[in-house]
Amino acid sequence: MAAATSTSAKPFDIVATYNELLRSDPDLTMPIAAIEALVLLLTHSPSSTISETLDLLEKSTAHLKQSIPNPIGLSAGTDLFQRYLITTLQRPGQLGPAGDFNAIRAHLLSNGRLFIRRAKESRDKIAAFGRGFVRDGSTVLTNGGSRVVASLLQQAAGEKGGPSAVRFRVIYVLSPAKGDVEGSSAEPEGMETVRALREKGVPVATIPESAVAYSLGKADVVIVGAEGVVENGGIVSRMGTYQIGLLAKAMGKPFYVVAESHKFVRLYPLGQYDLPIEQRVIDFKTEEDVADEATQQQQQAQPTPNVKSPDSSDVVDYTPPHLISALITDSGVLTPSAVSEELIKIWF
Amino acid sequence: MPATSGPLTPGLASFLKTLKTNHIDTSIDNLISLLKRRQIRHSRSCATATAYLLRGVISASRTNDANKLIERVQHVGRRLMAAQPREMVVGNIVRRVLGLIRDEAEDDREGDFNLSEAGSESQPQTPRGLDDPTDALSARHDGSDRGASRQPLPALTAAPISMFSLLSHPETEGSLPGTPVSASPSGRLLGHAPSKDIRAEVLDGISEIIDELTQVDDQIAAYALDHIHSNEIILTHTSSTTVQKFLLKAAAKRKFTVIHAEAFPNNHEATHATVSGANPHDDELLSTESFQKPLIALGITVILIPDSAVFALMSRVNKVILGTHSVLANGGLVASAGTRVIARAAKVHQTPVVVVSGVYKLSPVYPFDFDSLIEYGDASKVISYEDGDLVDQIDVQNPLYDYVPAELIDLYITNLGGHAPSYLYRIVSDHYRKEDISV
Repeated sequence: MAAATSTSAKPFDIVATYNELLRSDPDLTMPIAAIEALVLLLTHSPSSTISETLDLLEKSTAHLKQSIPNPIGLSAGTDLFQRYLITTLQRPGQLGPAGDFNAIRAHLLSNGRLFIRRAKESRDKIAAFGRGFVRDGSTVLTNGGSRVVASLLQQAAGEKGGPSAVRFRVIYVLSPAKGDVEGSSAEPEGMETVRALREKGVPVATIPESAVAYSLGKADVVIVGAEGVVENGGIVSRMGTYQIGLLAKAMGKPFYVVAESHKFVRLYPLGQYDLPIEQRVIDFKTEEDVADEATQQQQQAQPTPNVKSPDSSDVVDYTPPHLISALITDSGVLTPSAVSEELIKIWF
Repeated sequence: MPATSGPLTPGLASFLKTLKTNHIDTSIDNLISLLKRRQIRHSRSCATATAYLLRGVISASRTNDANKLIERVQHVGRRLMAAQPREMVVGNIVRRVLGLIRDEAEDDREGDFNLSEAGSESQPQTPRGLDDPTDALSARHDGSDRGASRQPLPALTAAPISMFSLLSHPETEGSLPGTPVSASPSGRLLGHAPSKDIRAEVLDGISEIIDELTQVDDQIAAYALDHIHSNEIILTHTSSTTVQKFLLKAAAKRKFTVIHAEAFPNNHEATHATVSGANPHDDELLSTESFQKPLIALGITVILIPDSAVFALMSRVNKVILGTHSVLANGGLVASAGTRVIARAAKVHQTPVVVVSGVYKLSPVYPFDFDSLIEYGDASKVISYEDGDLVDQIDVQNPLYDYVPAELIDLYITNLGGHAPSYLYRIVSDHYRKEDISV
């Protein structure tokens, strides 16, 4: 709103805004950052009619999705935002077709912060629901750097401020630190949670991904986070979740997914290779290809530093619903089949 | 305690008899002690006693204020549930009554401002137990729930949808420039004098629940012919009346074979009696059905087997029909001990497992901890205390229930029809309000 003067000078870049939002607040999830970026976009654009706005949203969303290597998470946010606009406009009431379009615009623009706060609050709600899953004397196996899982475990550990009320142990699966030169610390994702838990007196064991099968026998329950929850109740999550799910099923351990309901995506993947993103995880090469690549790299020296190679740490896999015992969301503990209903409710 | 009880043994019959004459607080204490002493057991008896008691509670409270009624029912409900936490039907009935009151209260309010706001951003203003942090959440989702649980109200389908709660209109911090103030009139409407008699409506609703409890077996049995075919071999377990009625209904038209596992040591006597038709009249559960004909009277071959023979015979069985103690929100169930073995054996042989259960047994409780659901009973049924030497030296345990996970069940038949286990969450959300899940 304050930057109204600069709109003419510099066109609004939604991709940069999105990335900036994600960087500035480590607690922000991708869908929320996408919603925020769209809200900012609206503040910068003087569109005053409904169809103009929707058109703008659609174009920017498409642009944003194209420019981000893995748009599954953010598409949940953009879809939700778009559906919300359309549904509100169709509904009778002061924000409806008869009402003032500026009113809904004003509501969205003035409440951007509120959305973020609610999204963070929903994490606490989930933690409150999920506390029941961490029982006295149990051992929880988890992975990755999910903020929801972290807040759930910390809430279970830190009830009433004193020493942990629930005596539980955590086996934390850490993937090796990213070797990239991203400037970030070389410590694996999730170390922060590990430290926070240890501080609260929760015994934490860290294991590499290769030790999951070995360690699962000592675990009572598996709790993981998710990047997106797809229509059939499966999840898209960081690479390695699928194998933990398979192993948990094989060993008969309950496998719970913790995710906010704004991560529900309208996507129906039929398998690992059906996700609408390109990941070069399996990359067949012969000696010839390797040599080619080496020469190419030499030619280009330091070519494009800002194009992130998609094979860094954000590769994902898809965990099908039959491996999931339950989803702990801010609308309660759902079975995987309940996800489609929630999605249907907003789309139809 | 009550003068009228006289020769009656304490139980459901005596409780219902004294309910009319006693003061309501006495009856509450009476039921609590009956539950604690396990003098009322079995899902249906507990449900019936709870429903009658709550009807008494409502009719004894001389108020028409929904909030006070909810408070009162919650208070009584908590005490009852604490008395016997493993009888989950008690909690189910309490939740349904609470839902009834809330529905009536909302109906009432709706008449007032349906026109202006279409109920869109309104919140049910009934106070929730403020002891739970999840309440704030349920408040946000009430709207969509309402739409789901009350089909006859089309006006509510426009209520806010749960995934939108993130973006929706803020009620308290709503400071919209240029919008009319109609955003939150709801809070004030609470004080309005109710235009109709909520108490009477709720009492009607409870009577409907009681009717449901008496009719549920017949309603379930109506589906029998869809599931039992001629010359099939059916395996069942324990003396569940729901299963017996189901089989009897089919037996009237078709000939089939029933293999009955005896459920030693907790239920074998009742099972033997069911098979032979010599029902002991002292068993209060069966007292209403004690004149029921056994299956053999209808020309059905019934084979009584020990529990250990289940696996051996499973390869010949076409269908397993089981009764249950309670059904949980994730599709799993708690049933008498031995059920899991049967379900597992059926899984190995790919035999379909059908569970017959009234909707009143369906509990919104999520089984976080399976072990805590299982009750342990009288060890002397396994080894009697006459074997003192043995009892001294070994640890005898007699679990009464089994937890059966959802993946071992193929179909639930309730009074509403047949459902896959993964669909049960939907029935749960239709029958219980989110804010009542933790009473």
